[in-house]
Amino acid sequence: MAEQNYFEDVQEGQQLPPIKITPDKQQLVKFAAGSGDFNPLHFDENFPMLKPMGLTENIVHGRFKYAQVGRAVSAFAGYKGRVKKFGVSYRGMDLLNKEITVNGVVTGKRQEGGENLVDLDVWTEDPDGKKTTPGNATVALPSKG
Amino acid sequence: MAEEFQITDEMRAQIGKESEPWEYEVTTTSVRMYARGIGSDDPIHYDVDFAKSQGFRSIVAPLGYIGTPVFLPGKNDPTFGFPRREGGPRLNIPFRGLLDGGTETEYFDVICAGDTLVETSHLADLKLRESGRPMLFVTNEAVYKNKETGKVVAKQRLTSIHM
Repeated sequence: MAEQNYFEDVQEGQQLPPIKITPDKQQLVKFAAGSGDFNPLHFDENFPMLKPMGLTENIVHGRFKYAQVGRAVSAFAGYKGRVKKFGVSYRGMDLLNKEITVNGVVTGKRQEGGENLVDLDVWTEDPDGKKTTPGNATVALPSKG
Repeated sequence: MAEEFQITDEMRAQIGKESEPWEYEVTTTSVRMYARGIGSDDPIHYDVDFAKSQGFRSIVAPLGYIGTPVFLPGKNDPTFGFPRREGGPRLNIPFRGLLDGGTETEYFDVICAGDTLVETSHLADLKLRESGRPMLFVTNEAVYKNKETGKVVAKQRLTSIHM
């Protein structure tokens, strides 16, 4: 876990440390077991639905990418922060054995209802730099005071 | 025909109709399995003593994981594991294609191993994209309450795209 972020130190435009992961088949099978989603689209290269989609490789679960974004948001919040909400749209497919990069940036900070809230834009990128899973999050951070 | 599809009053009447409740379990094993599934090496998801030393009840569920639905053969979907419940909204959708459109979770508490959650869901929204190839956006909202305290711990909205 990275060092704890505090509300006073966070600045608009601050970038989150990127997370990179290249999911292989074993990783996606582990995710299937952990999530309970055993759709063969994600681990069987002979699954008949792949061909009509023009694909020869399995597709990474959307929820796997959501969880990767979640890892970046969790790391930003730290153990003393609390994630209030985070959401993504699945705009593009990511494929097995292709690197996924999670990026994020602080878009604003505010105090509301006694909480120190920080808004983030977060997204995944495919190896071509295309944003395949854009989203946003709101995190409550601790104060130094 | 899918090309002539319109959202009917009957379909709109399904909005807000709540499903019967279903239990979701958050266990040390399931949290660790999910954490391994996403490639996390954060000890907060694995080491109970470490998690307690940081002020949590037990290991913490990674973001995006809100427990595993209790699986009863014949009552859960064998591929996806979600419960096939009586009641709740029923939509007669003519499209064969289905895509996952998005996921949004609002948290009201931290979810830890040892929690049992009671989930109910309802159809929250229906939208039709009428320009070009018709696409139906169906948004369901699931509300998760802690079984012991009755407190809402999370709400999750899932959008599926039918086309």
